[in-house]
Amino acid sequence: MGITRWGGGVLVTVLAALVAAAPAAGFERVGDRKILVFAGRQEVPTIDPSVKYDWSIRMAQQSLYDALVKYVGNPPEIVSWLAERWESSPDARTWTFHLVKTAKFHNGDPVTAEAVRFSFARTLRLNQGPAWMLSDFLKEDGIAVLDAHTIRFQLTKPYAPFLSFLPWWYVMNPKQVLAHEEGGDAGRKWLTTNEAGSGPFRIKRWQQGVLYELEAVDDYWKGWPSRDHIGGVVYKIVRESGAQRAALLRGEADIVEGLSPDDYDQVGKMPGIVVPTFPGMTTFGLKMNTQRGVTKDPNLRKAIAYAFDYDALIKIYNGNAVLQTSPFPNATRGHIDVPGFPRQDLAKARAFLARSAYPQGGVEIEYVYVQGLEEERKIGLVLIDNLQKLGIKVKMVPLIWPNMVARGAKLETAPDLMAVFTTPVSTDPDAVAYQYHKSSWGKYYGSSHYANDGVWALIDKARTLGRWEDRAPLYAEIQKRITADAPELFGMLANRRWGMRDYVKGFAFSPVRFTGEVDLYPLAIVAK
Amino acid sequence: MLVYVVKRLALLGVMLFGLLCITFAISHVVPGDPARLAAGPDASASMVETIRVQYGLDQPLWVQFGRYVRGILRGDLGRSLRTREDVLADLVRYFPNTFELVTGAMLVAVALGVPAGILAAVYRNTWVDHLTRFVSVSGVAIPAFWLGLMLQLLVALDLGLLPLGGRLGLMTAPPEPITHLLFVDALLRGAWATLADAAAHALLPVVTLCFPALASIMRVNRAEMIETLQQDYIVNARAQGIPDFRIVARYALKNAMVPTLTMIGLRYGWMLGGTVLVETVFDWPGIGLYAVNSAVSSDFQPIMGVTLLIGLNFMLANLAVDLAYGWLDPRIRPATSA
Repeated sequence: MGITRWGGGVLVTVLAALVAAAPAAGFERVGDRKILVFAGRQEVPTIDPSVKYDWSIRMAQQSLYDALVKYVGNPPEIVSWLAERWESSPDARTWTFHLVKTAKFHNGDPVTAEAVRFSFARTLRLNQGPAWMLSDFLKEDGIAVLDAHTIRFQLTKPYAPFLSFLPWWYVMNPKQVLAHEEGGDAGRKWLTTNEAGSGPFRIKRWQQGVLYELEAVDDYWKGWPSRDHIGGVVYKIVRESGAQRAALLRGEADIVEGLSPDDYDQVGKMPGIVVPTFPGMTTFGLKMNTQRGVTKDPNLRKAIAYAFDYDALIKIYNGNAVLQTSPFPNATRGHIDVPGFPRQDLAKARAFLARSAYPQGGVEIEYVYVQGLEEERKIGLVLIDNLQKLGIKVKMVPLIWPNMVARGAKLETAPDLMAVFTTPVSTDPDAVAYQYHKSSWGKYYGSSHYANDGVWALIDKARTLGRWEDRAPLYAEIQKRITADAPELFGMLANRRWGMRDYVKGFAFSPVRFTGEVDLYPLAIVAK
Repeated sequence: MLVYVVKRLALLGVMLFGLLCITFAISHVVPGDPARLAAGPDASASMVETIRVQYGLDQPLWVQFGRYVRGILRGDLGRSLRTREDVLADLVRYFPNTFELVTGAMLVAVALGVPAGILAAVYRNTWVDHLTRFVSVSGVAIPAFWLGLMLQLLVALDLGLLPLGGRLGLMTAPPEPITHLLFVDALLRGAWATLADAAAHALLPVVTLCFPALASIMRVNRAEMIETLQQDYIVNARAQGIPDFRIVARYALKNAMVPTLTMIGLRYGWMLGGTVLVETVFDWPGIGLYAVNSAVSSDFQPIMGVTLLIGLNFMLANLAVDLAYGWLDPRIRPATSA
């Protein structure tokens, strides 16, 4: 290559650099495909369905893989997907699923009962990711292939919430997984950035830490809900919320998540942008250490619960939140509005304080929150203001999340008050109730180290009953008893919000999905 | 000189081992359970234990340290709990991005900072000097992330002249890697459109990152030039009628460059590990961001890998500066060669 050609190339480069800078005009196009651009803050470090899940991982998994059933709608319903129908025994121990015969993996292999067995067995054996959901009840030898399209799960003990977890157990193609096994790793290395699924999208580009591009499978076995369905998705990592906002305004992104409440309000007023807003299932509460320190005293805990200004929570979120009326989120099956659920009442607060071991206050409590989370810092300031009326001082301690988890894991180190967002993985009440079970001690949402033998027994019993009519009253009782023990300052359910270009249609919210997570399958771009 | 270089390289090995010991100790005494974080928030105790065993975190610290050191000698820096990839593969993916950003920023800072420092010294107490002082004070005072955001808002969002962030446009395919340096690979492959796109994406982060370095280089170079221009040999040169440009460029600058070079070396080493804010604002997938994400996940192996890499860079940058001293000032050469 001669000097002249190099020089020419560099000149072209400099000139083109300025041209390349022209603002993007909304969604991208590849041929006649309309490609949606999703600007998310979180990476997708792995897409192996047996290894890990969070909102961004699951959004990718849901797009690449199918499960036996799927959560759809608001309130969420479980609908058939790979399984066209199913039945369970009255004692909720035996579950039989009949698969559709038209489903096929991206390489053309049919989705069979053997593939389902392989996928469940793999997840159980690796003991990671979603394994915890079923591992206490399902063993590998309890999975039986009855014929090519029928599979039966024999649980070790009755477990009514079984079905509610199945939307997160994705089915992999055993042939592809085994072909890429390295040193007995069950294909883990390969499946980190490759897929073996049957979902509506397949991988086109995977640039770790930069962007991930999925391409719609034109002949997806389930078909597409709209003829304008998106031809693909570019999930671009934009880590700073200011840059996300700018990308949406500039048309470089079609959907963004994770903006601040103020930013959502502002972008929602811009032409061509909509901000879908829905009550979610993520609860925000202040977990109180019920085993150590001053918050061991139940009357002090109740005094705190009645002293807090709950309306301030809503204000901090610019009105985009609703207060909890039970320890269970509103969309959880069996949720009730618990009578006498705590709201600010200083007379009651003082009465409970008088009954506590600290009738004059005079104590200092520690409020631990996530460093850098402005809303949680503001909530701390509200606490300081509210509790000083009871003579209680509040020490605000910002920590990074790993250190918070480490402190909350042990009752000796769990803070007096710890700010925690919790999203249940299913709509079954067991998913929330179990957060108050002894088995949840050590997890971040178990940092109250709540203990009540009666409640634990009810939780253990309710999960084994097959009939909802038998379970519902138990969960109602559980909600009342937990409220009465005040292991937590039950806060609010922040609305889920996204910033979205108005030509993006088909958005289907379901509160059981994680914060930020979007079901990409029904999305369409209606624009020329 | 060769003996000196060999000695310095041997010493570099000892220093790296010391750095390794300190990093290992610090990263293992900070609170946080990496296995619990990697297993996920809902993981059962047995699942956490599975991760702990899989990554050898169940072993005593000295066993873990021994394994790690043995791994390094084999070129294995361990596996990240967060990305589930080999740390070495992650470093190969992210470090070239930071290297290109920092090198570009430093080249711009030197190309502008050194001449500006000279001009400020030559035209002392004129508007030129005042202007450079304004720039240098601003460069030190303005936080990089703020400058980055302002540039994004003004240049990218309002004027629409440059992209907001990232390394390439969404639909621009990166060239097949040869060196893993995007600019170099695009040049080698003759991918001019990709090169143009990469240049457009690099401009704002480079400007943001180079600004503080530019300010420091300018200040140091100005001060040194002023001092040098007052030396007797410069007065003598002027008396002999040697043109001003030649005096400045040939006789003064070389002497004034020694402290400037120290500044450049230190800055370069520091910038290689200190770009996280710029990388965050501009979504530049570099090593700083990788390190911070690993740190907040209590992911030890990447933290140690990054620390070693940055330490090595820092040491090599200092070595290069020391060697350059000898070239700039022959009086230093015997001392460094001893």
